[in-house]
Amino acid sequence: MSLYKDFSNGIIKENPVLRLVLGTCPTLAVTTAVFNGIGMGLAATAVLVGSNLIISLIKKIVPNEVRIPVYVIVIASFVTIVQMLIKAYSPELDKQLGIFIPLIVVNCIIFARAESFAAKNPPLNSIMDGIGMGLGFTLALVIISTFREVLGAGTFFGMQIFGAGFKPALVMILPPGGFLVFGLTIAAVNKLTASKKA
Amino acid sequence: MRDYIRLTGVLLIICAIAAVLLGLTNGVTFEKIAEQIEKANNEARQIVLPTADEFTKLDEAALAAIKANPDNGIVRDIYEAKAGGTLVGYTVMVAPKGYSGAVEMIVGVDVNGIVQGVKIGTNTETPGLGKNAEKPAFSQQYKNKTWDNLISVIKNGTPKENEIVAIAGSTITSKGVTAGVNRAMAVAKELSGK
Repeated sequence: MSLYKDFSNGIIKENPVLRLVLGTCPTLAVTTAVFNGIGMGLAATAVLVGSNLIISLIKKIVPNEVRIPVYVIVIASFVTIVQMLIKAYSPELDKQLGIFIPLIVVNCIIFARAESFAAKNPPLNSIMDGIGMGLGFTLALVIISTFREVLGAGTFFGMQIFGAGFKPALVMILPPGGFLVFGLTIAAVNKLTASKKA
Repeated sequence: MRDYIRLTGVLLIICAIAAVLLGLTNGVTFEKIAEQIEKANNEARQIVLPTADEFTKLDEAALAAIKANPDNGIVRDIYEAKAGGTLVGYTVMVAPKGYSGAVEMIVGVDVNGIVQGVKIGTNTETPGLGKNAEKPAFSQQYKNKTWDNLISVIKNGTPKENEIVAIAGSTITSKGVTAGVNRAMAVAKELSGK
């Protein structure tokens, strides 16, 4: 498989959120605002690339039977180290992304890619897969959070886009709105990709 | 049998490497992180009590006396704020319970019992809802409230002198923050002996 194919795979064809329906919990939790969606997406991308690379490098020395605990240790340690470094040297970034980082440890996209891709493929391909999947995740978060923020808060990226008379539909930034937009987005993507094939 | 040794061995080695790396990173960053937190807290104290130019931590005995009251369980630390050497107020860090876990916040109360500012710090409230408590639009409401008249929360309408309007969809967070401000005012009142 070519590097480009590994990269583009995660964006539409196997989009982790809209196709593989992974990482649903962080998706519903952070898509209340576009900024949060981008923050979570990029932070997860960075971790995904790093953990894919490490797991791909150590795949030969890890016995099959204990691979899951090893992934847990690798991912959790990686995230914790990144978090400590950010807290110490970039408090500004920590202010923006701090709350997303602990969420990444339990993001199943990262486990899924470790298990189904990085453990079977060479390091370079795994990095590409990590970038592609990460951007696919980010893209999905941005789409969902755009709908939720515009309809639920009347803002886009924190900027007011409607006049003062606009009454935001609060339900959109509450959990039910998250499920609604999530479902409709999956349906729309299915519809679009299906008609392309036909 | 050999298999078990091999499996646990590999796991042990990987855990050991991870532990060493984490330990090293912690060793390098620990002081730096504490410094950053201290710096951020100092800036926060300055924001909630702008008239002061010096903040000194309340001595341990006085803090212990405050904390002996079970109602003050949410109080984290207290600083005396001075301007040109005279006491002008207190900054009280409290961590009341919000919608999801504690909400750390610093409240600045001057010696006359007037709230000068509230700054919401570390919290895990819902982004887009309870997290909006961090925005000045919400925390500004506490300014100029007084310890003689405890604050209560209303859901909508025009707030009276001792009322604040809750964040839409986040009444629990709003009530938590308000409880924190009320507690901070009570503590400042007790300290100032008024």
